[in-house]
Amino acid sequence: MTSRPDRKDSRESETGARIAELKYALHLMRQNPLVLSGLVLVVFFILLSVTATWIVNPDEAYVLEFARSYCWSNRAISWGPQGAACPQGVTYVLGSDGFGRDLLKMMILAIPLDISIALVIVAAATAFGVVIGAIAAWMGGKFDEAILRITDIFFAFPGLVLALVFAALFGRTIENLAIAVLLVWWPTYVRLTRGQVLVEKEKTYVEALRSLGVSPVRIVLFHIIPNAIYPILVNMTLDIGGVILTFSALMFLGFSPSPALPELGNLAADGIGHVFTAPWLIIFPGLTILIIALAFNLVGDGLRDVLDPRLRR
Amino acid sequence: MIFVLFGVSLIVFYLARGFPAAFSPWAQYITYRMTPAQIQTIIHRHGFDQPLYVQYWYWLQDVFHGDWGYSNWANGLPTFEVFASRFPFTVELTVVATILTMAIGIPLGILSALKNNTAADHAARIIALTGYSTPVYWFAYILQLVFFYYFWLWGLPYLPSGGVISQGLASAVPSVTGLPILDGLIAGNLAYTADAFAHVILPAFNLSFISLGYLARIVRASMLEVLRQDYIIMARSKGLPERVVMYRHALRNALIPAMTLTGLFFAGLLGGAIITETVFSWPGVGGVSLRAVFQGDSNFLILYSLVTALIIVISNLVVDVMYVFLDPRIKY
Repeated sequence: MTSRPDRKDSRESETGARIAELKYALHLMRQNPLVLSGLVLVVFFILLSVTATWIVNPDEAYVLEFARSYCWSNRAISWGPQGAACPQGVTYVLGSDGFGRDLLKMMILAIPLDISIALVIVAAATAFGVVIGAIAAWMGGKFDEAILRITDIFFAFPGLVLALVFAALFGRTIENLAIAVLLVWWPTYVRLTRGQVLVEKEKTYVEALRSLGVSPVRIVLFHIIPNAIYPILVNMTLDIGGVILTFSALMFLGFSPSPALPELGNLAADGIGHVFTAPWLIIFPGLTILIIALAFNLVGDGLRDVLDPRLRR
Repeated sequence: MIFVLFGVSLIVFYLARGFPAAFSPWAQYITYRMTPAQIQTIIHRHGFDQPLYVQYWYWLQDVFHGDWGYSNWANGLPTFEVFASRFPFTVELTVVATILTMAIGIPLGILSALKNNTAADHAARIIALTGYSTPVYWFAYILQLVFFYYFWLWGLPYLPSGGVISQGLASAVPSVTGLPILDGLIAGNLAYTADAFAHVILPAFNLSFISLGYLARIVRASMLEVLRQDYIIMARSKGLPERVVMYRHALRNALIPAMTLTGLFFAGLLGGAIITETVFSWPGVGGVSLRAVFQGDSNFLILYSLVTALIIVISNLVVDVMYVFLDPRIKY
């Protein structure tokens, strides 16, 4: 019983040290204008996706009016001789899509779907990868070898083709497309976690914990993974952009459940046959994807610089 | 290595053959005039009603005899022939894209490292990050819009929007290597080569824009790492001019990781750039593979996945060997 308060103390000082480290990291990030602008953009997009249905009323925005399809009403930009003008009284800031809907409103409604799908896929890939990777590294031997070989197979696979085939075989629902992307993404996290756990496993604090009789599950879950979490965190931030790109690419290539679905890649796909007459349909949704992905990549890149002491300046 | 290929073949075979409702492997053997009974006979004769592991065994035997089946996307031509006729185009695109990536990415990385933490470094970082945040399909259409449509509209010399060669030149030179640029040079037809080059430049730039960011970041990181080494301090304290220190001493060692990364890019692109090839109607294997997915061409998908996996496995091996070659300190 006497050891109990001591342990609590040490844990508190450990959290204190971690908070100090985090504060230092935040301080470093604040110094970098690029990372800061990335953070601002990420917060902006997350706020936008939370409030999207308040900003734009979906019931009004979804009304189909084919007389206004592929039209442009913003006088500030001219797309060339072939762009069709909107009928009198219609003011769409970024033009209309093939269903005659306001592209800007559609994009605002699409952003929540893209961001939430990316967050879900990355979270699922991380959860799966961390569990499998940690078990493989801890157990070693045959199991580790088998997991390694399986990830090897998935790394050698042409990623997009695997996702395409999966989506083609199991039907074009959003869930299936998400699983298709997940299928391509999980091995990275297995490898990353495995590498981290292998390094941590050999450290003396693990030996100490073991000799204290702490159960392996506890050691891995509460001691090793918290110590190995930074590279995984960086990878997650950097992957959100990549996942949005891949998911919207699947949609763009024609695996969307419905051509009317407001999703950024799907909105852009509507413009494929109208590139020269309605270029705004590809330009603006694609640009939005670029900015979202760039925002997450800026933050991830900054995080990596801050958390990797070798790159610290 | 064999194990990886075997695993890839198992997965892709199961996906391509296990779901006849979506991808029917007998599609290339039947016509719409056949009666259901005739179709059943054909399915039975080709063994498509057997359990999957039996089918896999048959398929393996065929493959070891060089028979990859027929492609229903190409109206029943042998799959291997279809693949072999498309592969040179992918090779050409890959080579040009890799050269562009290196030509832009490496100097960008060096600049970034030398001007560490200045406006130039930040600009290079933005270019790099923008590169790998860009949707490939979007950038492809932007390039088409600007360099084809708007240049044409403004009366500037414009680049073609797709394809490998202009209609009028299509059979101007005999196909020796299958690579249009090389064929034009072999035949001594410079107009043909120039036309082929004009066609390849936009898709190649599209591909390299995506990957040069990674390359620049890697070059920057390894350059910064090398510059901190003792032998650089030694070289500087000897009084060598900064240019000699940078390019003779630092750059050589900093480029080792860049070379391996470039090798991996090359291998990845050799597997076909599905989106870029589709948007630019480039007749390479990547674009065909997308149409094969839509048409349920299981034989082409199997061959395509296996060749891509083989390229990736071999390139990993080559990179490992290259490491030893470039850095004598590494021993296996």
